[in-house]
Amino acid sequence: MTSSGAKPTADAFADISSPLTGGRREPVVRRGQKGLRDAPAAWLLIAPVIVLFGISVIYPLIDTIRLSLFDIKGLAPAKFVGLGNYAALFADATFRNTLLTTLIFTLGTTLISVSLGWTLAMLCSFAPRHTLPFRGMFFVTFGISEAVSGYMWINILRPDKAGLLNSLIGSVVPGFQHSWLGDPVTALWSLIFVASWSGVGLPLMLCFAAVQGIPKTVLEAAYMDGAKPMSIMRHIMVPLSMPGVRVAIFINLLGALRAFDIIYVMTGGGPVRATETVGYFMYRESMTQFKLGYGAAATVVLLVAVLVVSIPAIIQRTAGAK
Amino acid sequence: MSKFKGVCGRRALLSGLATAALLTMGGAALAQEVSGELVILQWQGGTDLEMWHEVEAKFTELNPGVTVREFQPAGGQGDPRAGIRTVLLGGEVVDIIINTWPAFRVELNNAGILRPVEEQWASFGWDDKLSQSWKDLGAIDGVPYGVTYTYGDRSAIWYKTAQLEKAGVTPPTSWGEFLASFDALKAAGYSYPVVIPAKYWAHGEWFETLLLRTAGVETAAQLARHEIPWTDPKVRGAMVKFKEMLDAGCCANPATMLATEDPYPSVFRAEEGNYLLMGMWSNAALKKDYGLEEGVDYSIFQFPALGMGFDDTTSVDTKELVVTSNGNNPAAADAFLDFIIGPDAANIMGKYGYASPSTAFDTSLLGPVQQTAVAAVAEAKVQFVLGDLLPGDLVDEYRIQLQRFLQDPSEDMIDTVLAAIEAKAATAY
Repeated sequence: MTSSGAKPTADAFADISSPLTGGRREPVVRRGQKGLRDAPAAWLLIAPVIVLFGISVIYPLIDTIRLSLFDIKGLAPAKFVGLGNYAALFADATFRNTLLTTLIFTLGTTLISVSLGWTLAMLCSFAPRHTLPFRGMFFVTFGISEAVSGYMWINILRPDKAGLLNSLIGSVVPGFQHSWLGDPVTALWSLIFVASWSGVGLPLMLCFAAVQGIPKTVLEAAYMDGAKPMSIMRHIMVPLSMPGVRVAIFINLLGALRAFDIIYVMTGGGPVRATETVGYFMYRESMTQFKLGYGAAATVVLLVAVLVVSIPAIIQRTAGAK
Repeated sequence: MSKFKGVCGRRALLSGLATAALLTMGGAALAQEVSGELVILQWQGGTDLEMWHEVEAKFTELNPGVTVREFQPAGGQGDPRAGIRTVLLGGEVVDIIINTWPAFRVELNNAGILRPVEEQWASFGWDDKLSQSWKDLGAIDGVPYGVTYTYGDRSAIWYKTAQLEKAGVTPPTSWGEFLASFDALKAAGYSYPVVIPAKYWAHGEWFETLLLRTAGVETAAQLARHEIPWTDPKVRGAMVKFKEMLDAGCCANPATMLATEDPYPSVFRAEEGNYLLMGMWSNAALKKDYGLEEGVDYSIFQFPALGMGFDDTTSVDTKELVVTSNGNNPAAADAFLDFIIGPDAANIMGKYGYASPSTAFDTSLLGPVQQTAVAAVAEAKVQFVLGDLLPGDLVDEYRIQLQRFLQDPSEDMIDTVLAAIEAKAATAY
């Protein structure tokens, strides 16, 4: 924002003299003028990126969609089945169950990690310097690989006496023993908790950054007007932290939708498929059963779900950009 | 006449000896003549891999003209079949594939990847080294494709000797004794006598041996081919016996079973459980990872007799070598197959604690536990592990449904579970 509070335009940025140009005023690049004259050079410069993007994203995407139209089982020859895999997929009770599990897992982890991350960010923002180590520790969990944290939590949630959680509860409730990952109900919620634990660092940092971005003058003015901490939080910090919350929700939703590692390590989709998400279903069908066409169809469904989540967020994030 | 006859006889004898000598020399020369690169698609790890490398080294020592190149598919730690398929679909050319799943052998053959070894079986005289039953085990529609080089008893129950001694229990030989031992073991302080790690697949072991012992190998083979439905009363009978064991208080609560992946700590470290129905790879794990002495600290007993007329049956797993139809070095591949069931390879395997089905194998190389297992398999009618015979789709459903049964081992659930497996089987073949 400019000092006057008005948003600067792209043209205004183009007119700013850069220190790198020695203060000389560069001519404004107008759309359709010099841009067109430079087109070959521009294409040449972005060609490597386009080629890499094509090889690593576009080609696999198109090939996955192509595979999803074939019935491929093991080493047997592929048979074209059109949309048959999709019809079979939605008729498959197991797949429908994985959709529900994915929904619960995605909403559960997003809700817990974002709300916890946001709450911690609000609390930390009152004493930014003193809470630095605390924020650092939380963010470290975001950096731990899901496989590693999965193995760590398997031991914490062990069903026997060696399990840390059972020991802790057992010290209060003698004789307590529960198989957190073997009970279909607690297995899914244990996974949601673990995924939220490792995901809380990012919302914390994003929300904290958003709060730190609030101009000091606004907060000082509020204090001078006699606003109490709760009022400042309610009327200033909460609304102004929302951009961070939105980004955190978006990133968490995408991560949870595609979740695989932690499920693979901790439960293998069990017990009795209670923790099987679409990501794991896709792996099982494609890699264990080697039903590549069927697995590819599940991948496309997951892709559509990711797009449904992403597109509104991308549109919203880029709405103001030219 | 008699003189003439005698001359003829001597001439015939001499020419016969000369021919035999030539053939022998020719054979030896043939064996020495194999050369070039031999590509083996191998996916083993740990002790299996150590043993395998020694086997390969011995082969190249005997055949100096051959160099062995291993091709290891990615993702070999879990089920390596996906990796093998990827390698083959990717156009990689190999001479030999190590295989342990009969259903996968059929898949490879249907894709035109395998070369039958019927002629080699006759020319190398493998009938002298492998019995008909091992030949049948590696055959598809009567044509041999796989040469079995090692096998394991999958109907052996592992136990820690000190635990049974403490509880005053002798290894049970009958089903009744087995069930009765649960109370004695619990009284001695063990939480659950039978450890069933049901997270992925091991709960199927109990059902499979119970099926063999209640209905025999023929029924199990028919079920594997889906010639009888899963709702057949004979299959149900095995489930009823399974329920009997659960009702007798054999096991931990279902949630604990379904969360248990590694069963060894429960028996051999935490001293919570006592009996474990598991493959012979346990031998290496207990010796190497737990530092236990075979036959002293731990031992096995064969699955207890049910008295239903099928107590001479045993579930087995095997590893076999199959040769490819597009391999670049078929001569070396055939020579390797001949070598793997010969005395040199068999005795290397024995040194590592693996049993070879070859007649050239010296069983005295094995430890006491393995010797017990080898003797049990030798006397039994064997059937391959059911889970490895079923189509991939079905085996997954079969294991999931058994997990449901463990959660609720009731008569109604038996019917529900078998009906669900049958519904999947109807579309899986």
